[in-house]
Amino acid sequence: MFTASDLSPADITAALARAGFEVARPQNVRRTLLDTFDGRLHAAGLRLEVREAPGVELILAGGGRGPAHVAAADVPRLAGHLPAGPFRARLAPVLDVRALVPVVTVTARHTEAVQRDGAGKARATVSVYDRLEVEGRHGVADLPAWAAEVGELAGYAKAADGARDLLVSLGLRPGTGDVIDVVATAAGIDLGGFAGSPTVALRRDEPALGAFRRVLANLTGAVEANWRGTVDDVDPEFLHDLRVAVRRSRSVLAQGKRVLPADVRDHYREEFSWLGSATGPARDLDVYAIEWESYVAPLGAQASAALEPVLEHIQARRKAEHAALATALRSERYRTLLAGWRTWLDDPAVNAGGGDSEGAIGQVAADRIGRAQDQLVGRGRAIEEATPAEELHELRKDAKKLRYLLECFGGLYAPAPRKAFVQRLKALQDNLGEHQDAEVHAGQLRAISAELYGTDGVGPHTMVAMGQLTESLERRRQSSRDEFAQRFAAYDTKQTRRALQEVLDSAAGPAQ
Amino acid sequence: MKVLATYSIKGGVGKTTSAVNLAYEAGRSGARVLVWDLDPQGAASFYFRIRPRVKGGTEQLIKAKGALAAHVRATDVPGVDLVPADFSLRHLDLHLDGTKRPTRRLAALLSPLDDEYDVALLDCPPSISLASESVFGAADALLVPVIPTTLSARTLSQLVRFLDEQPGSPLVLPHFTMVDRRKKLHREQLDALAAAWPAFLAATVPNASAVERMGVERAPVAAFAPSTAAARAFHDLWAEIASRLWPET
Repeated sequence: MFTASDLSPADITAALARAGFEVARPQNVRRTLLDTFDGRLHAAGLRLEVREAPGVELILAGGGRGPAHVAAADVPRLAGHLPAGPFRARLAPVLDVRALVPVVTVTARHTEAVQRDGAGKARATVSVYDRLEVEGRHGVADLPAWAAEVGELAGYAKAADGARDLLVSLGLRPGTGDVIDVVATAAGIDLGGFAGSPTVALRRDEPALGAFRRVLANLTGAVEANWRGTVDDVDPEFLHDLRVAVRRSRSVLAQGKRVLPADVRDHYREEFSWLGSATGPARDLDVYAIEWESYVAPLGAQASAALEPVLEHIQARRKAEHAALATALRSERYRTLLAGWRTWLDDPAVNAGGGDSEGAIGQVAADRIGRAQDQLVGRGRAIEEATPAEELHELRKDAKKLRYLLECFGGLYAPAPRKAFVQRLKALQDNLGEHQDAEVHAGQLRAISAELYGTDGVGPHTMVAMGQLTESLERRRQSSRDEFAQRFAAYDTKQTRRALQEVLDSAAGPAQ
Repeated sequence: MKVLATYSIKGGVGKTTSAVNLAYEAGRSGARVLVWDLDPQGAASFYFRIRPRVKGGTEQLIKAKGALAAHVRATDVPGVDLVPADFSLRHLDLHLDGTKRPTRRLAALLSPLDDEYDVALLDCPPSISLASESVFGAADALLVPVIPTTLSARTLSQLVRFLDEQPGSPLVLPHFTMVDRRKKLHREQLDALAAAWPAFLAATVPNASAVERMGVERAPVAAFAPSTAAARAFHDLWAEIASRLWPET
């Protein structure tokens, strides 16, 4: 990337023409960088760009020698909208269920200059962009008036070096990245996406109240960041992440006894409980829709086809529940909750009020984590073959509570032992999650069967297939239940206790 | 990376034409493509306007693992690169014979580029030799151009018989080239061969002047004559191949 010179873009292209480059007519171009909200492509070292000039072309760079190009009718939103073949095959596992959203859109006038050899083969290209603008952002102060990019072609490094030397000789200043990087930097746009980590930097000796407030403020940031995508139902991860941030907030509030003021804690526990409940039905149906293929595929093509009306019913209910959730998220109650909560979290006048609020967060967090572990182990040990499923659900909540504490107060501990312990806990959580999903979905399917029985378009084949699916879900549930004792025994060990102690004894690195 | 090879025992059946046009279509469909011109005539290199030269000669190229990357040249088709050929490739058999596992040698040379490309397309010379066996050892599928004539069909049978005797042989995907539907013989052969060989790809490449003009234009057909029957045929052919290679997408 080259910027900054007293010369105009026309001077540059004239100089390129004098050096033997073929200079094409300028064209308006619109370049949009797409990524998931949480920057999955960026994290995977990939870069997906939509170039409209005026046809639509998708360009996928990173993870290889040169970019892949494909024409597209529309800007893709989901992995399934990407052109079939290797392009989709590379992106689909990274995107999973996440939607592609525009990170930054640059509009410009583009002039391409190509240097060719005697056979007419391109050896190097120079792209000059002027009239640069960032769509949706006006008056970006540091935006360069124009920028030039040298396109290096595999096997023609010398030609590219020659083009760079030419630009330097004209007084242009070389920099890193391409025109999108330059513009995004000038506009203050982070190409890495929303990180959404629940972990904040903490010092062990700092007072617990301040630490709790920082943890809760960070979680509130995640709720706020995921609000728009949830309301617009962009992809299921927005709701998932919003819901998890709410659950984490509830967990931290619950653990904030004698740390947070009782009136504040009681009020917001109730309000976040309401918000959590509002997100439940839509999320359950999201999971159902995501898991649907894995549920029905083992039943065979015939049963899958017969179950189409059920999927349509689930999708319709999912849509209705999302609409209800969007209403809740736009309600006065939600606005009041968030505004009041933010005000309290950001209020510099909030003082410690006795109890544990002035205690060192290192000690307070260790106590809470220790108690959460004891509660989890105590409940798990009491579960026998005949114990009702509700107890497993409660145990799942205990496990989540412990996990959330370790994540939210993770800034106190070293990452390696924390990761090692979480792996142990996750193995138990996976089993409890499979059990819960199968239980909930089998129950929902029984309810749907009753609703659909006798309705138009639902014949005997569908009812039979629903019976098969219910049985299959029941088998899944039973298999998770059968596996539970073994999974819990693997968790309830000396090694696990030692692993947790190692976390609590570990100190966060200097970066914390 | 999926390794494909345009291959036939018989010469003049349209191997290079298929390789160049399918590489173009693959690149246009969003694949990162590496064409490896293995034919000493260097026709694929010529079509892509790349100087036919193997730097250091074929012997050097074959010797060292990791050497292929240094020979890669970008073509003017976005997403398509090429390793050019030159006349030193006429000794490919000889140089392969001097390596430890000659039938795995081409696969070993391609393996460092496995994550860099989605498709490697080897354009092979007409023969059945040690080099061919090394191609079979590297390829996931052989794209076999067949002119709908008795002699061309016979070489397909010979190839399949040979591969049947080899363990781990690549998939064989024959396709018709140089088809002239005005000829009764071609029409009869098309029907008979398609019935006898269910593996034949459905798209057929016509005997068209646009294909002959590739030598003048030095470019794939769709780059200069995108609305011709030949360009559409290669487009359809690649779509069929891609649906076999990436069925889940």
